[in-house]
Amino acid sequence: MEGERNSDEKESALRGRSPTTASQDGGERMSEVPFAQRKVEEGKVYSGDGVLGYLEMMEAQAHELGLKQEEKEQQEKKLNRLKARVQELRARRDELRAKVELQEKRLLDKEGTVTDPAQPSAQTVLEWKLKGVRATIQFFYLTGISGKLTTQGVCFCISTAYEGTYMDSYYVDILTKPEVKIQLHSVPVFIPLEQIAKKYLQTDIRHFLSVLSDHLNAYVGRRHQAEQLEEQFSDRIEGTLQRNSLCNLLVFNYNVSKNSKTFLFNVRLLYGDLCHSLPTEAIISCTSGTLPLLAEKAAAHSYAFRHMALHKAFDSLINAKEGQDQTP
Amino acid sequence: MDEVVAEYIRRTVLKIPRDEIMAVLQEWGFLSEAQLQTVNFRQTKENVSHSVTQLCEENSADIKQAALLDITYNHMYPNKRVWSVYQMNKTGEEADFFDFRDFKKKFRRRIQSALINAYFNFTGLVNVCLKQSFSFSTQVTIHFRGYEDNAIWIRIAWGTPYTKPNQYKTTYAVYHSQTPYVFISTSALRSNLPLLCQAIVVASSYHDIREMELRSHCLNSLKDIVFKRYSQNFKTNYPQQERSVLMENEDLRIIDENKSEKERIHRLNRDCFGDGPQPRLDFAQYKLETMFKSDPNWDVLDKKEPFRCLVKFSSPHLLESLKSLAPA
Repeated sequence: MEGERNSDEKESALRGRSPTTASQDGGERMSEVPFAQRKVEEGKVYSGDGVLGYLEMMEAQAHELGLKQEEKEQQEKKLNRLKARVQELRARRDELRAKVELQEKRLLDKEGTVTDPAQPSAQTVLEWKLKGVRATIQFFYLTGISGKLTTQGVCFCISTAYEGTYMDSYYVDILTKPEVKIQLHSVPVFIPLEQIAKKYLQTDIRHFLSVLSDHLNAYVGRRHQAEQLEEQFSDRIEGTLQRNSLCNLLVFNYNVSKNSKTFLFNVRLLYGDLCHSLPTEAIISCTSGTLPLLAEKAAAHSYAFRHMALHKAFDSLINAKEGQDQTP
Repeated sequence: MDEVVAEYIRRTVLKIPRDEIMAVLQEWGFLSEAQLQTVNFRQTKENVSHSVTQLCEENSADIKQAALLDITYNHMYPNKRVWSVYQMNKTGEEADFFDFRDFKKKFRRRIQSALINAYFNFTGLVNVCLKQSFSFSTQVTIHFRGYEDNAIWIRIAWGTPYTKPNQYKTTYAVYHSQTPYVFISTSALRSNLPLLCQAIVVASSYHDIREMELRSHCLNSLKDIVFKRYSQNFKTNYPQQERSVLMENEDLRIIDENKSEKERIHRLNRDCFGDGPQPRLDFAQYKLETMFKSDPNWDVLDKKEPFRCLVKFSSPHLLESLKSLAPA
């Protein structure tokens, strides 16, 4: 039993050796023949480090050598195949090179109407393609919705704009497997993202993106109008402009003069449709009670607020008022 | 001016660092610039607070002004309090026209009705006369202030049917309109917390509210986390400035052996944490409860109980310290 274990160890030790020692084995074998003779003489035939064990070792070595030889042959075959392929490809390359040179020469010589004049060199083609791709990416970015494939899905970028000015960009990172789900996003928390996702994300991603983009663009538009109103007309507004996170309710007061008397108008703008940047309702009330003349004015103001951007509407109302007062 | 109010204003001014008293008073807006100029801010804080109290006496400050001063102080130094985050749910899908005035009205009314009921349960009387003598304002003080970022700060001082509200142990709630999150900071008395939560839910048109496991001194970091205002690294095609990945070594003779590995770690770190500053977390806790899954034949464990694991992280600035582990 002990003998077997020892020979096993020797075999495993042999196998553990790297192929580089294969060349050394030949030398070692030569020196080990007198070793075997010695062992026989010493009478150690049946023990583990005796002749039988030694013979087993030699058998294992031979087997290993055989395997290595096979491997070598296979590698040589592979190498030859690859060399042939390289030759093939080189030939093809030379062919193409010659072709390109010929075309270029033709272009330079400006002879041969047969050749297609739009046959630029590989370099120019590549540059043109890159330019095209960059322009496409820019175009997509300008349209407002662009995306990039990620390892697990797609990351969309929604760029918002209002009246020609680009505003904030919002990102939505969507996983596509195992199921379509939003992984990360930078959409403000008061935009009803979960509701929109529940309705459209699973069935139609394009519709989802379009609805979300509408919401975001409208929000940015409303916010911009409110900010512009505060910035440009802070002196014409009594008190402060009251608004909320979504900017879908704005309340403010301003003075209206009629027949050299000033009245305070209170405006409540309700933006019922979150995908639009114009109010659905503009309720104007007068603190000192509504008079018939003022009712007409109020209706006109309400109309203006409902059909024009807030700061522009306010601007026109202020100027119109001044115009009216000047007429006797 | 009420003695209590005067003392309260004086003590509030004492809390402010001397160099910043002017800024806080300006933000408060109750004392005019001219009045503020008459105060010598270089004297000791005791004297400054006395001067300020004198001026408030001249302007006849009432509890409302004192409360607004307290709100201003806490708005400028929110990190002195511990804030917890609460999350609300609602099932409706209608667009919510959040109106600040409505919110305040509904909030006060909800607290008032709850306190009236409590009062009657306490006294056990249904007399109409007693109902008239119940004074809402003597049992609780509520003040609101809205800010430009659509944050509404609510300050509440609670009392009992027999004692006036304790102005020194106030509860603050910060709510951003049309969001499902409320940030609440109580001092000592937590028994009125359910009532406060109910009032916020009702006033903001939500259905229920629950406490999240998120607590910190740094209010802005809490807001950053729940409003996702921290920088997330989104993959985008649109070229952003490529920041240099690793600082070039001063000495070009030193070559980094593990350069690719370091770059990979840096990239992962950046993907995970983003480029901007991290929200300030002091403490994070991970709880793991899992069952050991093994071949039923083995029957390794005697009892079929789940493994429970609790890992606590704490640091002055947890996320930044984790982020800085990468280059190390």
